[in-house]
Amino acid sequence: MIITETSANGIVIVALEGNLDALSAPKLRGSPPVADPKTAIVLDLEKVDFMDSSGLGAIVGAAREKDDPACGIVLSCMNDKVRRTFETTNAQRLFHIFDDTAAAVDFAATRQIART
Amino acid sequence: MKTILAFREEEFAWSHEVFSCLHPLLLPLCNKPFIEFLIDFAILTGSTAVRILCDGGINPIERYCENGSRWGIALSYGSLHADDSAQILLGKNRKFCGEERIMIVSGFSFIRYDKRLDYKSLASSLPEGEWAACPGGSITLSGAPEKPPADGAAAPLSLMPLDGMASYYRASMEALETGADRYVLPGYGGEPGCAIGRNVVISKSAQIRKPVSIGNNVQLLGDTIIGPSAIIGSNVIIDRESSVESSIVLDNTYIGEHLEVNGRIASGNRLNDPRSGASISMEDPHLLGSIKKSQTLSALPRKVAHALAALVMIAVLAVPFLFLWPLLKLGGRWRSAQIDCHSENPGETISLGKVELDATNALGAIASTLSLDHYFRLFRVLTAELALIGSTPLPAEAQHPNAPANALAYRPGVFSYAEAEQWPATGDDAAIVERYHLVHSGPISDIGLVVKAFVNRPHEKSSA
Repeated sequence: MIITETSANGIVIVALEGNLDALSAPKLRGSPPVADPKTAIVLDLEKVDFMDSSGLGAIVGAAREKDDPACGIVLSCMNDKVRRTFETTNAQRLFHIFDDTAAAVDFAATRQIART
Repeated sequence: MKTILAFREEEFAWSHEVFSCLHPLLLPLCNKPFIEFLIDFAILTGSTAVRILCDGGINPIERYCENGSRWGIALSYGSLHADDSAQILLGKNRKFCGEERIMIVSGFSFIRYDKRLDYKSLASSLPEGEWAACPGGSITLSGAPEKPPADGAAAPLSLMPLDGMASYYRASMEALETGADRYVLPGYGGEPGCAIGRNVVISKSAQIRKPVSIGNNVQLLGDTIIGPSAIIGSNVIIDRESSVESSIVLDNTYIGEHLEVNGRIASGNRLNDPRSGASISMEDPHLLGSIKKSQTLSALPRKVAHALAALVMIAVLAVPFLFLWPLLKLGGRWRSAQIDCHSENPGETISLGKVELDATNALGAIASTLSLDHYFRLFRVLTAELALIGSTPLPAEAQHPNAPANALAYRPGVFSYAEAEQWPATGDDAAIVERYHLVHSGPISDIGLVVKAFVNRPHEKSSA
């Protein structure tokens, strides 16, 4: 799993590439912007090939740690495989999901301004 | 032009109660799934791509509609939150929308349109904003008009909210009566008002009175009278000397002999009166019964594997249980109570013993480590009342968001998948991982997860 961090409009974009499973989930949870409760992030899932329950758990767990659980992690660019995993488990209710990273960043930035 | 179809679960919650086997968006109106009417309308307005959004499960829709090649359009899927405004929806689907004009059809409503009229010019020339609306539903256009306003009368368009059985019945009958003139309806027919599907066996003495719509694989036996205003779904048998008038018989239904079905909706073994909302479930298969395939057979390998594994656990844990249980019981460190929990079968409950162990005591800690508090429940796996590993049993009396009626999947188990996975979040989130495994796991992987749960439970308790 390759984790790339960039930022735009004051929001950290964490792009994942590869498999998000039991092996890579701790790496995601340990990533500083993901673990920091105060940092709102956009999680770009476009290049995630596979995600299992551990990967899902890492994302849900990280979102629950955020100061703003509903908008602390905004998801973007899910491929169909990952989207189906979210829908099968009803986890999509916990997140705002965008098909475009720039739109997700705009949304997260607006929410962050509204909170402060 | 592109179209977004947006649905909120609360709009069609009524449908889950009445037609529990069907996803509401696949509910047939005149033998055509509801979602297809909306896709047809999107095509009429010149849409080349349609995105279906819902705040609940959408997998059955995806399986049915696939990528839209059947209609010659690109179909995609996504999710939304119940309180998302049109603006947020456009933002969440920015890549899909691109620079094109977008039509957002929101709500669980039947669109009254006429396929002969030119909605394409109208949709591309109307100003931005609301095109049509009804309580709980709307059609809005976003983006600048592509053409100057067209001359002449506007094409008629209205929405009918599908907010209950009565409106569903009305919409179905309306589609049947206006017929193939206005909508694209399935079936073959040499004359208006009569559409018949494939592989329909009609007895010589059966009478068909227009308007009717009959699905595929239907048998109309001797002296049956179908219609007027009857919609018969697919895989239906109407037995001898029965009549179906002003009624809807949904797919996979058997109507027995000598019955008069008038002004009703028959679905499986359930008969509904759309006007009063009353319904009865028939137990006698000779009256009205489902001919849907049973799922019992497909669950058999899992039940056998779980039972065998439970048997092994019972044998292995028997010695420590017989030694520790009397001691803990006498010492008051084994407290148990009976609770009623939801069963795997909808509407049924099972009574389960709930044990509280005092793990501060050495014996209690050993019993807890060996999961002896679940020992009695292992016997329920042998009778197939519980799975060895599955969902956390939900108390029957509690109004729970994950109750079987609301959940996508539920199978109570001795151990839970959440325990096996040491799911990080608390509360209702555990249902997420449980649903994941209920969908993805098989008998063998279940055994592995039981071992994980067995190992993780003491760790979980000590870290709590």
